[in-house]
Amino acid sequence: MSSQKIINLWKRMDWLFVANLVALVLVGVLFIYSASSRQDDAQLTAMTQRQILWALVGFTLFFGAVGLDYRKVNRGAFVFYLATIALLVLVLLVGRKISGATRWLSLFGILIQPSEFAKLGTILMLAHYLSEPGRDLTHPRTLLIALLVLAVPTALILEQPDLGTAMTLVPVVFTMLFVAGVPFRYLAILCVLGLLALVPGWFTLDDYQRERLLVFFDPGRDPLGAGWNSIQSSIAVGSGGLFGKGYLMGTQNILGFLPRTVAPTDFIFSVIAEETGFIGSMVLLILFALLAGSGLRASLASRDKLGRLLAVGVVTLLFSHAFVNIAMTVGLMPITGLPLPLVSYGGSFMLCTMAGLGLVQSVYVRRFRR
Amino acid sequence: MARGNPWDDEFLRIRLLMGIMLLMLIGLGGWLWHIQITRGPSLAEDQNRQSMRRVRLPGVRGRLYDREGKLVADNQPSYTISIYLEELRQPGSWDRTIERVEALLGDIEHIIGVPSILTRQDIRNHIRRRLPLPLTAWRDLDANAIARFSEQAGQISGVDIQPESMRVYPFHKLAGQTIGYVGRADIQQDEEEPFHFYLPEVSGRSGLEKTLDSYLRGEAGGRLLRVDVTGYRRYDFKQREPKPGRDVMLTLDMRVQALAEKVLGNDAGACVVIDPQNGDVLALASNPGFDPNDFIPGISPARWKELNDDPRKPMVNRAVAGGYAPGSTFKPVTALAGLESGRCRADDVYSCPGYFTLGKVTFRCWFHPGHGALTLQQAIERSCNVYFFHMGLTMGQDRLAEMARRMGLGAKTGVELDAEVAGLVPDDAWKRREVRDAWRDGDTCNVSIGQGALVTTPLQMAMLTSVVANGGRLYRPRLLRGVRESEDDEFVLQPPELLREMNWAPANIDLVRQGMRDVIGGSRGTARRVALPGIAIAGKTGTAEFGRKEERKRHAWMIAFAPFEAPRYAVALLVDEGISGGETAAPRVRELLQGLLMPADGAEGHG
Repeated sequence: MSSQKIINLWKRMDWLFVANLVALVLVGVLFIYSASSRQDDAQLTAMTQRQILWALVGFTLFFGAVGLDYRKVNRGAFVFYLATIALLVLVLLVGRKISGATRWLSLFGILIQPSEFAKLGTILMLAHYLSEPGRDLTHPRTLLIALLVLAVPTALILEQPDLGTAMTLVPVVFTMLFVAGVPFRYLAILCVLGLLALVPGWFTLDDYQRERLLVFFDPGRDPLGAGWNSIQSSIAVGSGGLFGKGYLMGTQNILGFLPRTVAPTDFIFSVIAEETGFIGSMVLLILFALLAGSGLRASLASRDKLGRLLAVGVVTLLFSHAFVNIAMTVGLMPITGLPLPLVSYGGSFMLCTMAGLGLVQSVYVRRFRR
Repeated sequence: MARGNPWDDEFLRIRLLMGIMLLMLIGLGGWLWHIQITRGPSLAEDQNRQSMRRVRLPGVRGRLYDREGKLVADNQPSYTISIYLEELRQPGSWDRTIERVEALLGDIEHIIGVPSILTRQDIRNHIRRRLPLPLTAWRDLDANAIARFSEQAGQISGVDIQPESMRVYPFHKLAGQTIGYVGRADIQQDEEEPFHFYLPEVSGRSGLEKTLDSYLRGEAGGRLLRVDVTGYRRYDFKQREPKPGRDVMLTLDMRVQALAEKVLGNDAGACVVIDPQNGDVLALASNPGFDPNDFIPGISPARWKELNDDPRKPMVNRAVAGGYAPGSTFKPVTALAGLESGRCRADDVYSCPGYFTLGKVTFRCWFHPGHGALTLQQAIERSCNVYFFHMGLTMGQDRLAEMARRMGLGAKTGVELDAEVAGLVPDDAWKRREVRDAWRDGDTCNVSIGQGALVTTPLQMAMLTSVVANGGRLYRPRLLRGVRESEDDEFVLQPPELLREMNWAPANIDLVRQGMRDVIGGSRGTARRVALPGIAIAGKTGTAEFGRKEERKRHAWMIAFAPFEAPRYAVALLVDEGISGGETAAPRVRELLQGLLMPADGAEGHG
């Protein structure tokens, strides 16, 4: 890539999008510090430092992805998809088991979560498949193959088991099919089939998953066990009130009512909402709204269908993460263990998110060559 | 792709997606409003409930002073060493924390040389029930141990010295039963808000400590603690200072009290000294007694058993809870009743042959040869039974009983001691109810000389002596002289409480007082040995038989007041088992009055 080309790409970047992204990462670092503040200093700085490191690697990945032409990426989509599938299989074979679930691979001492990369792989693969010239979207076979692309990683992730992650792929694929132009009647049938699948699905769930769902409908069912996080998180968010208790002053977190294992990760929003109140949670929601909005703007601006589908896929993935994560911390959804994109502590998802958002910008900066 | 259907436009579908996402976020925002604004206060309350612990802080108890300002019941700091568990917590199982605490206890034991009172089970219980509170490991340490600890405390974290208030009775056994003692208070559940941790104060368990508890008791304060999810204290949140109780000044004069107990010596008995001008109880002694310090902080089971099994009953305050026949000390009542009723006259003369016959029964006078012909004043001086038999029968039991009651017998005096008993002034109605028999003249004869079913307490007899001494003003005997709100205030003294004016005819009361003066000062008085040079004393001895006749057990009584013209002391002294009032009680009263009126060190008595 010539330097002139880089300057052109640089000029066409959506800087609102980038500012948004930086803002969310900063919020994340600040409140990971707060969430781990009751731990001893070494661990406190360690977690925050690691997150900063991940963010820096993430930004590198982001700008790298912006530089890559997404159509070149598209050529490798199938291989990338297969690679993530292979990693998922590897997880099941040699993965690290942590608290009952086998989700991690140890790579040079770093734990990575292949299911995060599988999300990206599925989006790439599906965008690739649906945008191929001459693809007849009205043909049932197209739908079946698209569903197969979804089903393989979903089944492997469910096997870990990781219901939450598996379920986030469903709306992503559904939305991509919708935007791609699969006829409404097929989508309607998919919905009906999906609802019907809930019944046998219930019986294939593990006990703890079933318990989490039951607890969602009745948090008092097991207030000290499965319902604990849900109740304590609602208390944290609610007691924040309008203005919150102030940075580093979140009682629920300091006193350990929010378990410290999840406060910097899945329940980072509870910490933010308790310390910054309704105002702070609104700011966060607006940041996510702007991120989704500018992501979809990239989709609208894309000069081809591949770009549109890639952007829609990535935006939907991050949006559903953000929505489900916030909804679960305030008792609107069952506890599923999904991170809040860019904010929650965690490397794999940070990298996956940054790479995905980089792809979205890659689409945006190449919008004029129609 | 067929044209015409607007949803065939990919861009429109993306815009629709945008709209849906926006709506979802708005919905989420609405829900956050519900949780953070609408339900915010109630969720904040939930949070407080789970992380706040209310601790009750006892208020310091007020002190007791005698009338001269000497401390009778005091609070002294007692040092405790407490362990702050939150600074010692260990990750992992509780056992590791317990081991850490035990290791620390061992270290401190080594430093101060006193073994800890704690067992492993105690530590476990504390962790389970009272985790946010400091764990008391040593109580009541002496200054040496504290000094040794302080020298090296800097090296130990999580440990602190705390002063605790402990009740101390500087006079030990003196007035022990009257002052009483304190114990750990029962938990009061009626306080407005329940406490998670209740540090009880002490409350009065007996004696004045109990009856004056409402003055002495402090007002509890409270402390709000924040605890973390495992229940350790994080920090103190708020505190309401406890209010100390009020100090009380008693009417007791510990110098008089000491004299009263000294003259009782080792014999079981009681001695009460009252200021006849106002009812102030200057001494209220009962022997044997106990040292209330034995009950602080708790009495040992062995000592408790010893006190309760003692046949001489040291726990009973004989001065107010002991019921005795007054014997001849009752005769002034008979005399006043007879005179005031108008049925008897001071110059009525009866002859005493040494006995008195009533139908088939013969009552003996204590002086078997007989007193011969006597007037009333002489009869009092010599304590002639026969004269008073005549008097009693002449006026009748009803008049006698009425006068006895008017002078305070047969009812509680209302002194500030709840152990007090009422005694008994028997009459026809009582006898029919209790014995199912009619009142007979023989009963009247017995009561006339203070025998029969008549029961009085030494305090009642002192009160009766007072009313004779002051000529007819019956004051409620009192132990509470004044109260002050705080150490900076003066005691607010309470006015004496006049129960009734007797309105005796002056000639009548004068005659009885003269008769009582003759008991000591007359040529044939029964208590001539009480006489002190230069001081006129009046009194009356009594010897009351009790138990089975063949045992010949006698209560030895004496009542007295002095100086005769302007009495400052009214005394009732009783020895449980003595020879007679004149022999057993009179010398003790003399010693007492000598101590009060002619102090060897030249110091003046009270007043």
